[in-house]
Amino acid sequence: MRKFTKEDLAQYNGRNGASAFIAYRGTVYDLSDSFHWRSGVHQVLHNAGEDMTDSIYQAPHGEDLLKKFIVVGKFI
Amino acid sequence: MAKVAREMVERAGVNVNQLVELLVKNAAAELTTFYYYTILRLNLIGLEGEGIKEIAEAARIEDRNHFEALVPRIYELGGKLPEDMKAFHDISACPPAKLPADPTDIKAMLTVLVEAERCAVRGYTHICNLTAGKDHRTYDLSLSILQEEIEHESWFSEFLGEGPSGHFMRKGETSPFVSKYLR
Repeated sequence: MRKFTKEDLAQYNGRNGASAFIAYRGTVYDLSDSFHWRSGVHQVLHNAGEDMTDSIYQAPHGEDLLKKFIVVGKFI
Repeated sequence: MAKVAREMVERAGVNVNQLVELLVKNAAAELTTFYYYTILRLNLIGLEGEGIKEIAEAARIEDRNHFEALVPRIYELGGKLPEDMKAFHDISACPPAKLPADPTDIKAMLTVLVEAERCAVRGYTHICNLTAGKDHRTYDLSLSILQEEIEHESWFSEFLGEGPSGHFMRKGETSPFVSKYLR
């Protein structure tokens, strides 16, 4: 499985045709097909290409929502 | 724009531009949902469909009311709605509640409805969390809308047999929580 550094992940910010990846607890998910991550932005405040591990605790949903998305790698 | 009102919110530590963007996206979700609920309602026919038509109608009207209630707050805070209706539709905070492929499939219809309401519940919870103790007016408005969205979710969830919620249909009037913003 592919390993992503912070710099690698930042390239997948969902903008200008890039895929929208986020990291959560060491796993990288592809959210490109999510309505809620269009253009790499989620709920105005969150950006693709970043580690969302700390942010999800403030979100009005749990980590279970990530289960429907494809895992593309490990965040190191 | 309500200059001092905006300033108070900014001073409380809220990023007002981000908040306004969230309010606009949720207003778009309400108006698009109102539109799609209109189509959904028209297709609620037959024994099963007629059984949920009245409750879908209450949710439809209340979602329109939510749009009406949100718009003044957006402008008070210095924001505005897009001039282009299509652009407004495309920034909706929630996926459009499209008619199921088989419009006679009432369970699929209810699933569309409950998913739309669940998206709204998350969205207004998010806004309440951002504004609690900081932007009292937006918080109260969002909380009022949230109260109604939770009831909508409960209605449709009960029809899907997911479990009881103890809620009952409206008795004649709509928007018991949001109506104070519509006077």
